[in-house]
Amino acid sequence: MLIDGLLIGGLIIVVGIGFSLCFGVMHIVDFAVGEWVMLGAYTGFILVRYFGHDPMIYLPIVFLIFCALGWAIYPLIYRAVSGKRHNPVLMGLVFTFGLSILAKGGALSVWGYHIQSITTWLSGKSLALGPLTIPALRFSGFLFGILITLLLMLFLYKTRLGITIRATAQDREMANLLGTDVRKVGALVYSLYAGVTGMSGILIGALFSIHAAMGVKYCTMAFFVVVLAGMGYVPGVIIAGLILGLLQSFVGVYIGGRYNLLALFMVMYGVLLITPKGILRRGI
Amino acid sequence: MLLQSHDLTKSFGGLVAVNQLSLKVEKGTILGIIGPNGSGKTTFFNLITGMLPSDSGKVIFNGQEITKLRPHRIARLGVGRTFQIPAPFSKMTVLENVMVSAFLHTSSMKTAKKKAEEVLKKVGLDEKADFQVLNVTLEDRKRLELARALAIEPILLLLDEVMSGLTPVEVKSAINLIKQMHHQGLTIIVVEHVMDVILSLCDRVAVLDYGRKIAEDTPQKIVNHPEVIRAYLGERYRARG
Amino acid sequence: MPLKNAHTQPHTSAPSWRWALLGLALLIAFLLPWPLSPLWIRIATEVIMWAGLAQSWNIIGGYTGYLSFGHGAFFGVGAYMTGIVMLHLGWPFALGLLISGIAAALMAVIIGYPTLRLRGAYFAIATWAFGEMIRQIATILEITGGAFGMQLPSYLNLPFFYYLFLLVTGLTYLTTYLLLERSPFGYKLLAIREHEEAAEMVGVDTVTIKIKAFALSAFFPGVLGGIYAYWVTYIHPDSVLGAQLTDFMVVMAFLGGIGSLWGPFLGAVVVQLVNRVLWLVWGEGTFYLIIIGAAICTVVLFIPSGIIGLLQSRIFLPGTAWKEIRKKVKW
Ligand SMILES: Nc1ncnc2c1ncn2[C@@H]1O[C@H](COP(=O)(O)OP(=O)(O)OP(=O)(O)O)[C@@H](O)[C@H]1O
Ligand SMILES: [Mg+2]
Repeated sequence: MLIDGLLIGGLIIVVGIGFSLCFGVMHIVDFAVGEWVMLGAYTGFILVRYFGHDPMIYLPIVFLIFCALGWAIYPLIYRAVSGKRHNPVLMGLVFTFGLSILAKGGALSVWGYHIQSITTWLSGKSLALGPLTIPALRFSGFLFGILITLLLMLFLYKTRLGITIRATAQDREMANLLGTDVRKVGALVYSLYAGVTGMSGILIGALFSIHAAMGVKYCTMAFFVVVLAGMGYVPGVIIAGLILGLLQSFVGVYIGGRYNLLALFMVMYGVLLITPKGILRRGI
Repeated sequence: MLLQSHDLTKSFGGLVAVNQLSLKVEKGTILGIIGPNGSGKTTFFNLITGMLPSDSGKVIFNGQEITKLRPHRIARLGVGRTFQIPAPFSKMTVLENVMVSAFLHTSSMKTAKKKAEEVLKKVGLDEKADFQVLNVTLEDRKRLELARALAIEPILLLLDEVMSGLTPVEVKSAINLIKQMHHQGLTIIVVEHVMDVILSLCDRVAVLDYGRKIAEDTPQKIVNHPEVIRAYLGERYRARG
Repeated sequence: MPLKNAHTQPHTSAPSWRWALLGLALLIAFLLPWPLSPLWIRIATEVIMWAGLAQSWNIIGGYTGYLSFGHGAFFGVGAYMTGIVMLHLGWPFALGLLISGIAAALMAVIIGYPTLRLRGAYFAIATWAFGEMIRQIATILEITGGAFGMQLPSYLNLPFFYYLFLLVTGLTYLTTYLLLERSPFGYKLLAIREHEEAAEMVGVDTVTIKIKAFALSAFFPGVLGGIYAYWVTYIHPDSVLGAQLTDFMVVMAFLGGIGSLWGPFLGAVVVQLVNRVLWLVWGEGTFYLIIIGAAICTVVLFIPSGIIGLLQSRIFLPGTAWKEIRKKVKW
């Protein structure tokens, strides 16, 4: 159970990093984050159904598709949160909220309430690690999470562009003064975030199940991770992802599975009240 | 003494914006505060008005310690201030902006409206009373700042660069306005970069540099003060280099 | 092009034809149940309930500028309170409603104190987390019947509920009009929304004012929730605490125009009617979500002041509208 929680946490970290950067760079809280996961899962599902093969090979394709989608939607988001808007934060929130309703409604209308699943060659197999047996799929999900996190971290810490993005996320006004084109950085971050989130969707779909209303669960987790990490602060996401995993496992084992969500929301609410900048106090 | 600050200190992270600042303002006088950009003038105002909590030190107003009071309580005691960057209530009219201040002393719409109209007349904004704030010029926004501060009927008025960005003619009329308010018994602290303004208005001048008070004296003595000259010269050198 | 909102000139008195219009609308509302079939009375009742809910949300979200994404919690608490009072205590319905309203307002005061210190997105997320927390608690507690919910004594009297909702929603609008459009309280709220620090500098006790506004905006959903519970007689966490409750309040207020007196009303009428008409045509469906999602995105992008703003501007003609769009979106 403990391992289980950590494995899920690994995937949420990937989603959380993009989400956190979005908040830092564009000051938007993407209410549609869960819907990106859901759409990613369905895209994987459709690709597998029509072209066969293992879903794992579609990861890069889905990444590209969602990057493009993110890129296409970005001008609208930018418009919602900028210009002479009366209250940009509010507009951004409500816009992505509208997007999430739209995506959820679309998915429900097309696919209904059926629950689907993606099977991969790893499904059903398991890995023996000393005394532990771990389902191979979960393990690969975890590996994927680590891999993408590593890549993202490399990108954010070792490349010029990545460093610009992080600087912008930490202090947008300063970056603007220093001549960073915040709009462009935002476009990049949003499409990167959409791509990575959509891609995680396939794995999440393979690990658990796919249905049109699945978004809210991952939305909750992403919010949890980002709130704990301190919004806009990337390294915190990793720690928060691990805490999410541990908390889920702990509550599941010692208190009861039905208290899981309650625990998530209580911790999230408590953290916001006590230390709104995250447990490390490094958020913006 | 109307206002006293004792060793007031505020830092942001590693930066000490206001450093052990002690100042006194006599009732009925005008104190000028000058200093290079970033020397902590606005932060000092924010500390007095309670907008920012201080790290240490005390503020005493009219014999009462106000260091830990909430901002609206301090305003109620009679401290009015203007914002360096005008901060109007954008989606309201000019008149309505001032009415919000007037509600401090009345809960009648009629009285508040009358009061607001009076104040607007005083600052020369009466003709634009029904304009949306979004549609008025920077100069008028500065006047509005003043009107809003005056409408709470303050004893002490803190003016943060109300003249910057105004034309010489406008500056002149603003100076007259401040003099007039002073004659009506208001105690005023003026933050300004323009030395002429300071010279023509103030009874005493304090000079800040990196959050510290490096000099305080009459305006005539201040302009010849070696350390003041150095602080400003240094600033100019930095600007050039 | 700054769209002017009616509320920005509260000191000018409304022309008399508006009063006439209002009187006529009220008259129609009173007579409405006579010609309508039960189905349509039901739909009208829903519309009126939503109009009240959207306006309640508007008090904190529109006038004060604090986006509450957990407002459904107040409705749910109201519903459960009335349920508990009637079922477990055997007290009369009217008392239940009173207790519901007070309980919701009290809860708003208690959580408002720490939560209203947060701004912008932080406040939105915190209220969302709080709302979901309440739902989880209702699913777990025994007194609420857990996930199975609660069965209230049934009282089948459509017009009774119609008029009761009409009364409470009417009070919501009256309160908003008197307290927010016509009194210092409303001015102070707007000042907080426009610039909170500046409001404090002119002596507005922002903490107290915000809490009062939050309590007010929670009181009415509490009462409406109580009526709803008795009306539908069977309540469970998904029906009275589901995410869609908050969602719809936000959407309706936004579509109609936030921070205005009649915006939420228009939003509620449009959204709920569209919802029900689609339901009548296609049966239980999810298509309305697409329409609502697209509508809300459009409103944010092009008419941030909502339907009410649209009515006051001149871009009715499709040609002009398209030109506006081309001008405003830079791809
Ligand atoms: N809220 C804040 N957070 C972090 N740093 C701040 C904050 N407010 C002010 N500072 C910093 O404190 C220092 C003093 O700023 P302050 O605004 O008081 O200067 P000032 O004397 O008013 O300058 P100016 O003449 O430009 O108005 C500056 O270095 C500024 O960057
Ligand atoms: Mg300053």
